[in-house]
Amino acid sequence: MFPIQRRDFIIGGSALLTLGAGRNALAQPAPSMTPHEKELFEAARKEGGELTWYTAQSDDITAQALGRSFEQLYPGIRVNVLRTTAQVAYQRVTQEIKASAIQCDVLSTTDIGHCVALKATGALEKYVPDNSGKVLDIYKNYDPDGYYFVNSAGMIGIGYNTSKVKEADAPKNWTDLLDPKWKDNIALGHPGFSGYVGTWTLTMRNQYGWDFFEKIAKNNPRIGRSINDTVTMLNAGECSIAGCGPVGTLLESVQKGNPLAMVYPTDGTVLIIAPSGIMKGCKHPAASRLFMEFLLSVGASQIWVDHFNETIRPEISPPKGAKSAKDLKTIRPTVEQITKGIPEVIKQWRETFGV
Amino acid sequence: MSRLKLTGVSKRYGDFLAVDGIDLELQNGEFVSLLGPSGCGKTTTLRMIAGFVDPTLGTIEMDGKILSSPSGSVPPDRRQMSMIFQSYAIWPNMTVEQNVAFGLELRKISNAEVKRRVGEMLEVVHMSHLADRYPAELSGGQQQRVALARAIVIRPSVLLLDEPLSNLDATLREEMRFEIRRLHDEFQVTTVYVTHDQAEAMVTSDRIAVMNHGRIEQVDVPRALYNQPKTRFVAGFIGRTNFIEGVSDGHQVSFDGFALPRSAFERDVPAQGKAVFSVRPHSMRLSDVPPTAGNGGSAVGVVVLERAFLGEHWDYVVKPREGALTLRVTTSPMNDFPIGATAWLEFEPRQMALIV
Amino acid sequence: MTDNSLDIRALHFSGIASRLRRLDASMLLWLALIAALAFLILNPVLRLIISSLQETDTGSFTLANYRTAYGNIRHLQSLLNSLELGVGVALLATCFAVPMAWAISRTDMPGKAFVRLMVFAAFVTPPYLGAIGWILLAGPNSGWLNKVWMALTGASHGIFNVYSMTGLILVISVTSFPYTFVFTSSALDLVSSEMEDAANILGARTLRTTLRITLPLVTPAIIGGIIISFLEAIALFGAPALIALPARFNVVSTQLWQFFEYPVRVEEAAAYSMPLLAITVLMFWIQRRILGRRGYTSVTGKGGERRMIALGPWRWVMLGYALLVCALSVFLPMLVLVQAAFAKAWGRGFSLDNLTLHNFYYLLFEQTQAKQTILNTFLYSAVTAFAAISLTLAIAYVVNRKLVPFSNVLAFLCMAPFVVPGIVLAIGFYAAYAPPPLALYGTATILILGFTTRFLPIAYTSSAAGLRSINPEMEEAVRILGGSRLLAIRKVLIPLLKKSLAGAWILVFIPATRELSSAIFLVGPNTRVISVMLFDLSEEGNFEVLAALGVILLVATVAIAGIGSKIIGRDFMLRRNS
Repeated sequence: MFPIQRRDFIIGGSALLTLGAGRNALAQPAPSMTPHEKELFEAARKEGGELTWYTAQSDDITAQALGRSFEQLYPGIRVNVLRTTAQVAYQRVTQEIKASAIQCDVLSTTDIGHCVALKATGALEKYVPDNSGKVLDIYKNYDPDGYYFVNSAGMIGIGYNTSKVKEADAPKNWTDLLDPKWKDNIALGHPGFSGYVGTWTLTMRNQYGWDFFEKIAKNNPRIGRSINDTVTMLNAGECSIAGCGPVGTLLESVQKGNPLAMVYPTDGTVLIIAPSGIMKGCKHPAASRLFMEFLLSVGASQIWVDHFNETIRPEISPPKGAKSAKDLKTIRPTVEQITKGIPEVIKQWRETFGV
Repeated sequence: MSRLKLTGVSKRYGDFLAVDGIDLELQNGEFVSLLGPSGCGKTTTLRMIAGFVDPTLGTIEMDGKILSSPSGSVPPDRRQMSMIFQSYAIWPNMTVEQNVAFGLELRKISNAEVKRRVGEMLEVVHMSHLADRYPAELSGGQQQRVALARAIVIRPSVLLLDEPLSNLDATLREEMRFEIRRLHDEFQVTTVYVTHDQAEAMVTSDRIAVMNHGRIEQVDVPRALYNQPKTRFVAGFIGRTNFIEGVSDGHQVSFDGFALPRSAFERDVPAQGKAVFSVRPHSMRLSDVPPTAGNGGSAVGVVVLERAFLGEHWDYVVKPREGALTLRVTTSPMNDFPIGATAWLEFEPRQMALIV
Repeated sequence: MTDNSLDIRALHFSGIASRLRRLDASMLLWLALIAALAFLILNPVLRLIISSLQETDTGSFTLANYRTAYGNIRHLQSLLNSLELGVGVALLATCFAVPMAWAISRTDMPGKAFVRLMVFAAFVTPPYLGAIGWILLAGPNSGWLNKVWMALTGASHGIFNVYSMTGLILVISVTSFPYTFVFTSSALDLVSSEMEDAANILGARTLRTTLRITLPLVTPAIIGGIIISFLEAIALFGAPALIALPARFNVVSTQLWQFFEYPVRVEEAAAYSMPLLAITVLMFWIQRRILGRRGYTSVTGKGGERRMIALGPWRWVMLGYALLVCALSVFLPMLVLVQAAFAKAWGRGFSLDNLTLHNFYYLLFEQTQAKQTILNTFLYSAVTAFAAISLTLAIAYVVNRKLVPFSNVLAFLCMAPFVVPGIVLAIGFYAAYAPPPLALYGTATILILGFTTRFLPIAYTSSAAGLRSINPEMEEAVRILGGSRLLAIRKVLIPLLKKSLAGAWILVFIPATRELSSAIFLVGPNTRVISVMLFDLSEEGNFEVLAALGVILLVATVAIAGIGSKIIGRDFMLRRNS
């Protein structure tokens, strides 16, 4: 009963979309499918026409846009988009594994350490998408064994509210955040929730030692959960500096008319590599494979760029007015550092900040 | 000076006149009942005396000072009165002792003094051994005593009681009637007592004010109310009675089926015209002995229609041989007349009350 | 002689046989009900206790979980924070509720119908939604109240900080005071004015009478309210997660959430929740002790009329106070929520160019889960209400008519979930039924079962109260004329109880729609409910869409409750038709 109702709404919604009601009205007609994709498409339809996708890689709006785009390209396959922060998604997935009741088909996380751990326990399905060879070189070959693939990237810099802070006074580098003049005005996320924040924390520790956080604690930062919380706090006027500001969300917010601006720190912008993988024993393996192809496709990259995120395909140019990773100095931890380090920094964070 | 005085007191609720021009005076220490059927306005009058309700017209004075008038009233908490409610209104979350002490504590009396007076009062009502109990642990009669103790311990100027015995069973009611009167006598409290039960009123009161439809029909000592009722209502309400209509022609009064000489009556029976009498069932005698010449004028031959034996007396319904009038007669248990028997009914004209 | 004895023996046997038959039927019934209750209550709680003593993966006995749970000073601090929160909420909610209940029930304060409606609105509002509203109102730099203050006084920062223990206490109190309000005003409705008159005529004025007589008479109701507020506060998850975290402190419920992070440590979570259970049991024991031997109901039946006290000019003061509470709990938060729901960016304020319907559009057409989530919520809540009422009605009938021996055990079990905070119950359910063999993880079933158990006490109290008001002689009249018990129930009892059951249904339905604390552990990707979705949305700070979803939830709930009340003929708050 309900699927039919939702179907109507989705069709109706899609129809309205094509009238240009939404920003993301890129209702591309299904381009010619490769034979491989066609095969997967038929199989996906046969197995039930559904896919459950846990993603922490973007905000809800971008995630919904990706899901809907897939549905338009491959009509008859419904995508359940579940957007949460990385740790919450991981928690749910591990709960499901422990309960032997896998609900998730494809996991897209911002903490590559999760994929490493899941692969180690045999929880991921091996599948090498055709599109995996076509992405930018910097995003290739993170798992030569073919269990997970980087499909998304993002950057973290320092954001500020232009109506409260003049460009000249804004911080230029990470260490500027320690300046007492920013007391009570810095917004941060929480590594215990967000994969982005976890990686950022680890990177800062690598660069400056944990002392960096002891010092920043003196500035009494406002701690949220997701990295996107920092942008919200800037928009609300609650804080004037986003200590770990996500480039994509912030620039999208600027586009909406909010008085924000991005700083790419001199010591380097933190680059987040975000992978996806198929859960072993999931309910819709064919649809999952097709979705992996989609995530690495040109179409997906276009949607990412439309929301001011990085593109992983060379065919798509970066969003107007934004800098791309390949043009910036970026810093990031290695995969081993992430796997071991993020649980460590979560613990250290709790000790330092009390929550 | 009278203790409590009501002058022309009326209360109107919209179109409905609940109390209509009450005049009443109580002397210090007097026990007066407001007696009447439901809806006669007695409780409303009591509540006006207490100050919970303001009169629409008239004044209520105590010791010469005006307490209630249409333009303003002293609130209940400053009248120095006390009240026993129909539900007793004993506070169930306080012990007997705490209940009784409440009024005293409000009067800034020292703790020791409060304890002493409460103890005394509980002795008087025979409740000392239950001082620490909660009301839920007491019987109906005991709760009643607590209410009395609480009300009297503060030495009120006027004690008001609103049908306090209606929740008790018959035996307890009898016992408590005497108890209330005893406490009144011991403390000489001016008391106004509201009830619909005439036996209660008769036992306890110095005077009774009989009320009907918001007015006082008659205020008198119980004996006078019973023997000399001034209105039909009072006659019918206090005790049982027979109403018989007669026509006076100067010499005798003719009733339906018999006649009685005018001279035999104590009251001034009009020379001409209608006269209605209230005749109590026990003021007549049933006998099987025909009347002699001496009392001949007041005896009538009757036939027994119905009867019921009630232990302490016989209840008869008899009818004079001529006429359609039926009369209720009460006789001693020894007077046994079967149904259908004939007998002689002797009137006692001095006990026949003339209803105006 | 022989014939007679045979007859007598035959009679004897048939008597035994029929008694056995009856015994079988009632035994079966008792067993069935016990089984249901054991499944719902005993098993999860027992599993919880057992889990707390087990080692992860091996299941062997250990006290290590308690050591980990309580060896850490931060965990202990969270427990203390929870207690502080509970006490604060209990006191503040009482301060809000009792004067209002008194004013409405016993005085001539004007505007009663309006205030009642506002209390209902506060009841329908989930605490986490109220928290969002207050964040928008009292965020230290961005909250509207602070902005107004800064504009008026030229100060550089605001004076209200919602991110504090005080803020959290306020936020929870304004949505939980309706419980105390309902209990207190129902009890006050039953106090005869003669109780007050008696004090009055002995010399006590209105205030003294109220404080020394009227309110003490409803102490059980007030204490009941205090206990419920306390328990609600310490078991809540949503509001503390939104406010306590930025305020840099944890409470037990948010701490428990951390135990569910990877790796999932159910055993430690179980050990950590034990004190909550212990505290709840302690509360009820204390309540018993305080109330003790004293009676509270009027001991005679007569003279029970209730008159309104005339307050004179003070009635405006009371109204002012009531409106202040309504402002804090309904007007202010609702105002900002509605503003955010229709805003492009709520921080930009009340300007025409900031108005948009896009948030609602997004929810209803673009967000693929929202529609399903909304339907899920109302469907599950409705099913929960039906299940809870049916089960508790059967049990209440059995208990009230004393159909089986030890029927009080059934009643006790029905009320037992009261003792278990929602979040702990969910963990217990999770431990008992999520993994194989039942493998209910992520299904609607486990969610509905969890909710049903959570609301059994409310359902039972309502069912039992309704049954108590029906004279058993009504059914006996049917049976003596030849009808079976079942017929009597169907044709006489149920029709008589219709209104009462409908009221009970709403009393379960409404809290079920806003329940978060137990839902958060039991939902799967396909069974998300609005409360969880609101929580997820709050994670990325998308307040505009969140507010829109909240508005949808509130409007729908109020509509359903309103329709229900019209059908019942009196509002859900068990107010007598005056």
